[in-house]
Amino acid sequence: MSDIAPEMWEPVARDAAQAEYIAAPSLTYWQDVRQRLWKNRPAMIGLGFIIVLVLAAIFGPLFSPHNYYDQNLKFANIPPLFQTYEVDGTRFFFNSGNFNLYEVTPEGHVEGLLRSTKKDLIKKQQQFKFGDKLVMMDTAKQTLTLDGAPLEPTGWQWNRSNLFGTDQLGRDVLARQLYGARISLTVAFVATLVNFFIGVFYGGISGYLGGRVDMVMMRIVEIISTIPLTLYVILMMVVLNSGFFSVVLAIGTVYWVDMARIVRGQILTLKEQDYVAAARAMGASTGRILTRHLLPNTIGPILVTLTMLIPSAIFIESFMSFIGLGVTPPQASWGTLTSEAVETLRAYPYQLFFPAAAISLTMFAFNFLGDGLRDALDPRLRK
Amino acid sequence: MTGYVLQRLGLMLITLWAIVTLTFFLMHAVPGGPFTSEKMMQPEIQAALNAKYHLDDPLWLQYANYLKGVVTLDLGPSFKYAGMSVNQIIAEGLPVTARVGVLALICVIALGVPLGVIAALNRNRWPDTLVMVIATVGVAVPSYVIATIALYVFALRLGWVPTFGLDDWRGYFLPVFALSGFWISFIARLSRSSLLETLDQDYMTTAKAKGLKRGQILFKHGLRNSLIPIVTVLGPVTANLLTGSFVIEQIFALPGIGRHFVLSITNRDYTAIMGITIFYAAVLMVMIFIVDMLYLVIDPRIKYGARK
Repeated sequence: MSDIAPEMWEPVARDAAQAEYIAAPSLTYWQDVRQRLWKNRPAMIGLGFIIVLVLAAIFGPLFSPHNYYDQNLKFANIPPLFQTYEVDGTRFFFNSGNFNLYEVTPEGHVEGLLRSTKKDLIKKQQQFKFGDKLVMMDTAKQTLTLDGAPLEPTGWQWNRSNLFGTDQLGRDVLARQLYGARISLTVAFVATLVNFFIGVFYGGISGYLGGRVDMVMMRIVEIISTIPLTLYVILMMVVLNSGFFSVVLAIGTVYWVDMARIVRGQILTLKEQDYVAAARAMGASTGRILTRHLLPNTIGPILVTLTMLIPSAIFIESFMSFIGLGVTPPQASWGTLTSEAVETLRAYPYQLFFPAAAISLTMFAFNFLGDGLRDALDPRLRK
Repeated sequence: MTGYVLQRLGLMLITLWAIVTLTFFLMHAVPGGPFTSEKMMQPEIQAALNAKYHLDDPLWLQYANYLKGVVTLDLGPSFKYAGMSVNQIIAEGLPVTARVGVLALICVIALGVPLGVIAALNRNRWPDTLVMVIATVGVAVPSYVIATIALYVFALRLGWVPTFGLDDWRGYFLPVFALSGFWISFIARLSRSSLLETLDQDYMTTAKAKGLKRGQILFKHGLRNSLIPIVTVLGPVTANLLTGSFVIEQIFALPGIGRHFVLSITNRDYTAIMGITIFYAAVLMVMIFIVDMLYLVIDPRIKYGARK
């Protein structure tokens, strides 16, 4: 204690004006939200991913030399990365899934199938002639030998013709992936929008009118929310037949209940506010009060519900497509792509990677963004 | 209390009726009859079939008959499996679905809650981070992706478990894991945040100040209060375990109700679709009812009926 200098005990001069000074800039609610969201790294990464994904889905197919429906069975199940061999100036790779040798250019373009000169089905061997050299393929052991000695690979090569490889019908996986993103995202966004309108409309009316109308409307919501909704999406699909619009319609008309509840809860507390009374005193109509005064003030919770609805719509769509009730071939969504990859899982397990990664990363992105938004919109978490 | 239970039962019946009606009319709105196929059918056979399944009756009579059937627990004959009734299909698939589903539900509670508790008690230390990373992955990756990856790694590559069927007890591992993965993660996250909130409460400080043991504080004061939101989601969890079984049973080739349901959809077996939907809905409603009654036990502060 003794080493504190005596002047430290002097009282500090107080300045009344200084005490009133506002050090931090005054922020509106939305500026504050934006700032806090901006600082939330996972949420911003999620948002960035979603933007990139949307851009890729819109513009990606335009730049792709392939389309999503052209089949070429000669080039089926080609991997994105392979080990090349070189014999007598010919570069090729061995596709162990379908026992074919494909010729590859030095740049990595897949040129064509190499024809075997002799097939021995009993010994399970195939012969390939390269000039005077003979390559034997043992289909049982899945090995290649050159004049009796094991053939060593020359190195790894990326597939330049099809960056993500091809599927079981020889369609370009990248093109299908981008197209699948288009379908999945469109379904999710449109269905969410439909849910949004129904939910806001229903919840708004129920909350604003209150009383008996509210009671009846909320009872209906209560009944709907005990119904297993996935079942109803499935039933709708049975009635409407598979296809893009059916999926949108089925998902869009079923998941609005949460939205309706949230909007109603908000409206119930907001409608007692003085500014609503003022608006009514000035003769504003119910519709005007709802759309101009009440709904804009409920935008926060609505926004959070929306960002949570989109991933669940993506998920439901892929779920439906996976069990064969989604979009019809050759159209692709992430669900159909996954189920197609499952069919060839035993021979080409890597085909599962792209659709599974696409859908999982998208779910991550939306979850992070939703969590971030919820935190940013909650004034109680303000520091 | 009794009034509340009766009210809930009444609402349940109304909901069930709404589901039966909605399902019935949805299925009858499908263009084409159940026996429409590419092959031309003799008009006599068509007429005989229609007569056998009462498809000639006016719609209201069919509806009345169907309602009567549902009330007497008879869901009618299957259109596609000759000689099989929908009841038989359900009875055949139920044991499989129930076994996998109940095991999954046990896993969800027995793994999800402790994981969340461990995370909450070690807030911002490595066990918390680890649990949250696992939980985030579990929530984001769809169950069918988890199922296929697990199938490839553990069944095809390592050969530890059979690839399909439940003849071997090891066959249960993957379906149960894939089915419960999402909800274990979800419950872990939920119980973590719920327990964290409870730990901040004043009565926790009081309990500590009174000199109670750590375990006692956690179990008597902390857990019991933070369990309430977890019980709330158990209803939806059951619902999702049931619908999740569609995909899981398809991937692992299990002969459960979910697989029968998907099959009846691809076969356009309308009575089976209707019957299984109604059966699912009924099971769910009973589950949600049980969960609501569980509230009363866990949280004595809730007095149902008193609010009226």
